[in-house]
Amino acid sequence: MSRKRKPQITITVDGVEIGCEEGVMLHDAAKDGDVEIPVFCYEPKLGDPVGACRMCLVEIEGIPKLQTSCSTPVRDGMVVYTQNDRVKEAQNAVVEFLLVNHPLDCPVCDKGGECPLQDISMGWGEGKSRVTDPKRHFQKPIPLSPLIKIDRERCILCYRCVRFSQEVAEDEQLQLLERGPKTFVGTYNDRPYVAPFHGNIIELCPVGALTSQAYRFRARPWDIEDAGSVCTLCPSQCNVKFTVRDEGVVRVLGRDNEEVDDGWLCDKGRFGYQMFSSGDRPTSPQIREGGALREASWDEALEHAARGLTEAHGKVAAIVGGGASNEEAYLLQRIVRGPLASTDVTGGAHAALPAAARRALADPSLAVSTSQIDDANAILVVGTDPMHEMPILELRIRKAVRRRGADLLVATERPTALDGGSAVGTSGCLEAKRYAPGAAADFLEELVGEVREGESEFAKALTGADDAVVVWGESVTAGPDGERAAAALLALAAELDLAGQESGGLYEVPADANGRGIREAGASQNTGPGLTDASAGRSAAEIRDALESGELEALILWDVDPVRDFDEPEAWSRAIGASNFTLSASMFGNASGQNADVHLPAETHAEKEGTVTHPDGRLQRVRPSIPHPGNAGPLWQALTGLSAKLGDETGAGTAQEVFELLEQDSPLYSGMTYDTIGGTGQRWQESGGAIEGAIEGGAPEGGPSPAAPEPAAGALRLGTYHDLWADYVSERNPALEFLSPDQTVELSEATAKSLGVGNGTEVIVTGDNDRSLRAHVAVRHRIPDDVCFLIEGTRENAANLLSGASTVTIAEAPPEPEEEQTFGTSEREKVEW
Amino acid sequence: MPETRMLFRHIDDPELRTLEGYKRRGGYAALEEVMRLREPEELLSELEQCGLRGRGGAGFSMGKKAGFLPRGEMQKYLCCNADESEPGTFKDRELMWKNPHQLIEGIAIAGIAADTTKAFIFIRGEYAEVGDVLDEAVAEAYEAGLLGEGILGSKETVDLVVHRGAGAYICGEETALLDSLEGKRGNPRLKPPFPAIQGLYGGPTLINNVETLMNVPHVVNNGADWFKSFGTEQSTGTKVVSVSGCVKRPGNYEVELGIPSRELIYDLAGGPIQGEVKAWYPGGSSAPVLGPEELDLPYTFEDMADAGSMLGSGAIIVADESVSIPHMALRTARFYHHESCGKCTPCREGTNWTVKMLERVVRGEATPMDLDIIASVQENIIGHCLCVLGDAMAMPVASMVKRWRGEFEETIAKAREAAPAPLDTEPAIATPIGVGA
Repeated sequence: MSRKRKPQITITVDGVEIGCEEGVMLHDAAKDGDVEIPVFCYEPKLGDPVGACRMCLVEIEGIPKLQTSCSTPVRDGMVVYTQNDRVKEAQNAVVEFLLVNHPLDCPVCDKGGECPLQDISMGWGEGKSRVTDPKRHFQKPIPLSPLIKIDRERCILCYRCVRFSQEVAEDEQLQLLERGPKTFVGTYNDRPYVAPFHGNIIELCPVGALTSQAYRFRARPWDIEDAGSVCTLCPSQCNVKFTVRDEGVVRVLGRDNEEVDDGWLCDKGRFGYQMFSSGDRPTSPQIREGGALREASWDEALEHAARGLTEAHGKVAAIVGGGASNEEAYLLQRIVRGPLASTDVTGGAHAALPAAARRALADPSLAVSTSQIDDANAILVVGTDPMHEMPILELRIRKAVRRRGADLLVATERPTALDGGSAVGTSGCLEAKRYAPGAAADFLEELVGEVREGESEFAKALTGADDAVVVWGESVTAGPDGERAAAALLALAAELDLAGQESGGLYEVPADANGRGIREAGASQNTGPGLTDASAGRSAAEIRDALESGELEALILWDVDPVRDFDEPEAWSRAIGASNFTLSASMFGNASGQNADVHLPAETHAEKEGTVTHPDGRLQRVRPSIPHPGNAGPLWQALTGLSAKLGDETGAGTAQEVFELLEQDSPLYSGMTYDTIGGTGQRWQESGGAIEGAIEGGAPEGGPSPAAPEPAAGALRLGTYHDLWADYVSERNPALEFLSPDQTVELSEATAKSLGVGNGTEVIVTGDNDRSLRAHVAVRHRIPDDVCFLIEGTRENAANLLSGASTVTIAEAPPEPEEEQTFGTSEREKVEW
Repeated sequence: MPETRMLFRHIDDPELRTLEGYKRRGGYAALEEVMRLREPEELLSELEQCGLRGRGGAGFSMGKKAGFLPRGEMQKYLCCNADESEPGTFKDRELMWKNPHQLIEGIAIAGIAADTTKAFIFIRGEYAEVGDVLDEAVAEAYEAGLLGEGILGSKETVDLVVHRGAGAYICGEETALLDSLEGKRGNPRLKPPFPAIQGLYGGPTLINNVETLMNVPHVVNNGADWFKSFGTEQSTGTKVVSVSGCVKRPGNYEVELGIPSRELIYDLAGGPIQGEVKAWYPGGSSAPVLGPEELDLPYTFEDMADAGSMLGSGAIIVADESVSIPHMALRTARFYHHESCGKCTPCREGTNWTVKMLERVVRGEATPMDLDIIASVQENIIGHCLCVLGDAMAMPVASMVKRWRGEFEETIAKAREAAPAPLDTEPAIATPIGVGA
């Protein structure tokens, strides 16, 4: 958006003058002038046009041959005919050609009714066929992946899916095989197409050749309604359209928003809807009575909760999970800090940065919008693997590198997909650096030094860029050196003068889906709404300890599962057990909520109403698309009800009114309303939001912490990472279940060799604090020799079981006593599939 | 009229293949002269003035094309298109096989003129032995300092790599050639941008046919005026013509452009085997087919175009009276059906549909109405495709259906009488004798 606009020119299409920007494609210019030119292969999201389908041929005065309007840039004074006899004949011809081999099985085709081929055949075709010869045949439909079926007879070979795989996702798995009329779409050796973004090809397909395994035959277009909302399963917060049939979500489609997702979705967001209608979801408030939970009315449950929380006399803490809306987070902190008279409200697993540093990082002059990444000349990704933590950002970065030639630099503990070798014809990743687990602050401080001296190539790529974007993961500032890392990030921003760059700046990837919104709504241990100062409270770990020691007596777990996701799971179990009163809200039952005294059913993002804040500061509205199941209801309403019962009448009767309260309290969101946020969101940095309070971070005291000791002989440093599929979403959605990973320990080839283990070997990983877990070995050639990596949040053997360990030893697991001999599936096979 | 041998001079001398033999017969004199005396600008204008037109099929002015390359500091490329795959065309094979150094000399000179320091010869995979000959010659030239950095002690650099294709006709299309050379699936690219602006690896690229480049040393040695003294005003120089099909002496003949086509077929190639010439492709199998009426036309780019066909790659395929035109049309269509890359709709589906219809024609399962559909499908292909492969089938097929429609109708009727075949079996179709491979 920030690119300079080109001069406006005028062209004539079918005798009508159309004003447009110079150099845009004729098809797009015509569309802006309300002239539709049919296309199949053209999709600007996929990059440069290929001109393959030939559907968009038009006549241009002065050019003897008909031209494809998708690939012809407009020039001033161009005179174009899209409907004369010559063009009509060509359009008829192309439709006829496309139907030579198309089965015309529309009555039984999933695409029927929303099919571009149908629409274009009706609109631009002859309406009758001259073809009497047999059509080509393929075995059909066959699985292209566990999630997609392919019907090659219906395929019109428009190239879109293949281009997506090769030029957008860059997984390079889809190929055109064979040649000429025998061409078909497939993968090497018929391997399943498994890639995190592959669901997009279903939506790209202009015919019924690629269909969603989960949606096939579930509905016809006249049975369904679209409902626009925002996906809150990760910080990407992609804009989605829910396909609703009979009050249930049966499909998720992208809702193009260039500023957020470019129209793409990851498979988690696309297929993660089956859990909405899961029978395992509690659908009513519950209260504990006589040791067991029983269903209760909302009034009874809230009454019960109010009583339990009041009895703690201020010794109450609340932890807000990443799926909460801004409204919920605001109300929770207001309840805790107000009627409950506590200071202990926090979001996320880690201690918060000092308020001033947090405000400095949120400085609007350092902020970049997501679409500005397109314009960056250099992108530094530090301490995050976007593929796993914010998938759509990965595509955005790849786009900047592939199409705009941005220099990509990566610095992480674990190798990422972004630096996994570059494809032919793209510049790829310029340089990737690895630092030891937990050493992000050291790396950043060194980098600041390098940038000052300007000697290394790595630093030069940054200093030489007119616009540099530093994408950093929240984990960088999470550890004991978090403050130093934050200071180094700010120093780096100052050295690079990011504040003075048009499209350069800092871009944080929060650990939680609405991490930024929760923080900015005030659910943070040291800041209130709008990052204003608040009296200091406890971090999650301190809350845990205080519960165990009895300093805290009651706990609110808001859509969060510390036993599964936070460090020290056993201590968390004890702490929650020690709590006198626990109020929990969650979508599914979980380990942390087992002993809850009051449990509230949490909403999915298809039911919720509220706002969330994108990592770039864009507020977006989550809109209710389907009714709440059973007796479940809006959580914001539960919180206003609870607040009232505690003596603080908020006066808000709608989610919008709760947002108005937040807006009044938060200088960041000043002036924003549900209307101004609208359907595509609004960035607070662009709508008059401002930071109040000191922003000088100041150099943290203490200097660098002592370097981690070299691991003892035979020991390895332990790194952990978040895996996209290691959470409840892949477990609760049958379609995605096959992606849910078992614990694997990633080792370098040399390490595996020296340990005498190979891919799939089951091992015991033992930390230097004597804790251990079981895992399968995965040998990865880009892992450094002295490190191993474990996955956080797996169903069993999650990495947090080892929390506190900095090094580990690995030994082959003794064979477990086999209950039943199984034949034919070795562990190796299990792991690879 | 005898041949006029320029490229074919000494062609049958076995020593010509070696560097020493080539030099002894005046080889590399042009390159040496370029090093001593000529500026690139001067070379370019000479190449344009001489009127040399591309010998690969399109017939575009070589000098003009070279002039399209932007000047300035950037990596530019030269690709010699040796993917000679057009049915009936086999001139480049003989030229490279017997006279490889002339090609290398031409590439070096063109490379200097157009400032393309990296050059490739993209040779079709089936020409394995010719590729070996080129490899040897290139190694010899490097050894002698005629290629590589500092040619003949100057500051000029032309690196040359011989790259073997994988045997796809489409890779002779210049942009598909580039994709294939880059290691991708050999599919044509959208034009513009033209290769001269954005070609191999995104750099400006000059792509020329083997024969075109082999003319370059002669232009340099003798000057544009001398070159123009051969041929006609619009078709200068000589042309190596591959004559094949139903002729008594098939082979390559180098003639001055403008000689009557009849002389090529009857005098040089010995005339038809059975009876008279019934039909002939003047420029490879993608040229619209001409009949006996056009035999006296001068063999030039312009006369062939005026007759509704084209000189193309200069390959004459002759059909005598023994040949069935519908079978020849089917054979032609099948070739393009097999070689279509499948990227664009009209070519992919059009070749496929045409073959199915022509098969019905020769099986006797078609009606004269199908001939109308065949003709209309060809019209729908021509000019609507991404590259010219679709046109390459549609033009000859359309010309045959139009000119010999009566024979198509007779064939349908006869086939139906001879074998009222059940619809579910496909009778074998005899390959007609004498149609170029």
